[in-house]
Amino acid sequence: MIGYVAGRSPLHRAHPYTPLAAAGALLLAAFAVSTPRAIGLVVAGAVLLALAGGTGRVILRPMLMLVLPTWLLLLVLHGILGGAPHVAFGPVGLSEPGVRRALVLGGRVTAIVIAFLTALGTVSPSRLVEAMTARGVPFGRVFLLVSTLTLVPRMRARTAAILEAQQCRGLRAGGSPAARLRALVPLVLPLILGALAEVDEQVLALDARGAGTNVRRTALDPPPDHVAERVLRWLLFLGVLGAYAAKFAGRGA
Amino acid sequence: MNPAVRLARVSFTYPGREAPALADISLEIRAGEVTVVTGDVGAGTSTLLLVAAGFAPRLTGGVLTGVREVSAVRPGIVFATPWTQLTGLCHTVAAEVAFGPASQGAPVAAVREAAERAMDALGVRHLAARDPVTLSGGELQRVVVAGALALAPDLLVLDDPAAELDPAGADALYALLPGIAAAGATVLVATPDHARAARVAHRAIVLAEGRVAADGPPALTLQDTDTAVIARMAGCPPPLPLDPAALAARVVR
Repeated sequence: MIGYVAGRSPLHRAHPYTPLAAAGALLLAAFAVSTPRAIGLVVAGAVLLALAGGTGRVILRPMLMLVLPTWLLLLVLHGILGGAPHVAFGPVGLSEPGVRRALVLGGRVTAIVIAFLTALGTVSPSRLVEAMTARGVPFGRVFLLVSTLTLVPRMRARTAAILEAQQCRGLRAGGSPAARLRALVPLVLPLILGALAEVDEQVLALDARGAGTNVRRTALDPPPDHVAERVLRWLLFLGVLGAYAAKFAGRGA
Repeated sequence: MNPAVRLARVSFTYPGREAPALADISLEIRAGEVTVVTGDVGAGTSTLLLVAAGFAPRLTGGVLTGVREVSAVRPGIVFATPWTQLTGLCHTVAAEVAFGPASQGAPVAAVREAAERAMDALGVRHLAARDPVTLSGGELQRVVVAGALALAPDLLVLDDPAAELDPAGADALYALLPGIAAAGATVLVATPDHARAARVAHRAIVLAEGRVAADGPPALTLQDTDTAVIARMAGCPPPLPLDPAALAARVVR
């Protein structure tokens, strides 16, 4: 499942900026380090974040769907087709530097996917709106960010509705790969055209409700932002800054 | 009373179209009245609403010619499809209804009061804590209308607002309109529901192919339109009105 899942975990109760800051820090840290051991620590940090958010089981399937093909591709591309020296691994000769590179790249992707699936799963879009509104972020930016965060669940719901409607008209979505491919056309076209048509009406409705004005919106129920969380976010920022400083000073892991 | 909307020889063409959606429209819409706009599909009723409220061509694009004077400063709009009018940012009905006043930067107490008043008017107060996406089409449409009313619009345009409502909900919605108009707002409704419209409207405008085909008291204008439609379906010329009172009104007019 990609998207917000209601819960009572510490990340769910935290200010929305905190899980996002943690995910952002893990992303930046993943690019600051370049050894398998260091990237392993970043992945461990992402897993801890997922456990703190209570989203481990929820994000497992989408995480594997996104990460496994990447690992497979990286191991073939770098591990098997990589340069010398090679070490024997059963019947296959594996490139030692290639495997190291695949571990680093795969670890980066894994850490980033886990961190952002966790952030998506624990940050309530409505609380994020309130938090950004309370900080005086212009509505256009709030809308852009939250629409992006909620895009996948919205598109999934719309796809399910269109699929049901087309199946009522005799569409068969199963069968051979060719048949499945053919079934995509009556799904994708209404999905895209419907979304475009709805955008027109939504723009009018939002404009009529004052969304396009430059007036600072009122935050009705802004989430509390405790000192400890603000300190934590600053520490994350400083940690990332330190990792990059070490990297550019030539002492990076 | 001064007209809230004055159109003089107004024509409007959507982008990419050659034929105008509205052609040579001249009319005045008075404040404090409920005006019904009706016509066949493609007659231009929705477009007239968008032009009168100032949304076209500002947000739709297209070319408008002629003179349009609109004294309203807070237009509200309601479409037939409620799910396209949700902000997508609010996870409770209360927040959805309060979105407009909050966008105006009103104090929290005033925003809440406006939202509660609007929810009471539409009978959706008991849904305040629900997520809008879990509501039925009828409930959602009432929430959307409440969202428009919460802004205290001085020009309220409703495009087939009862399309998703059950008969009782439609009756309740139409019953609200004279009160909104009596409070000084201009109410413009496009609807094919002549029976309900005739009960609450002060005036009816019939469009045909983007032009004003009839304009007058709803009882007479809409009855003539219905008679013409039935006659057309039956394949015979429209008969004269047989109701003596309507006939007398026609002679007096």
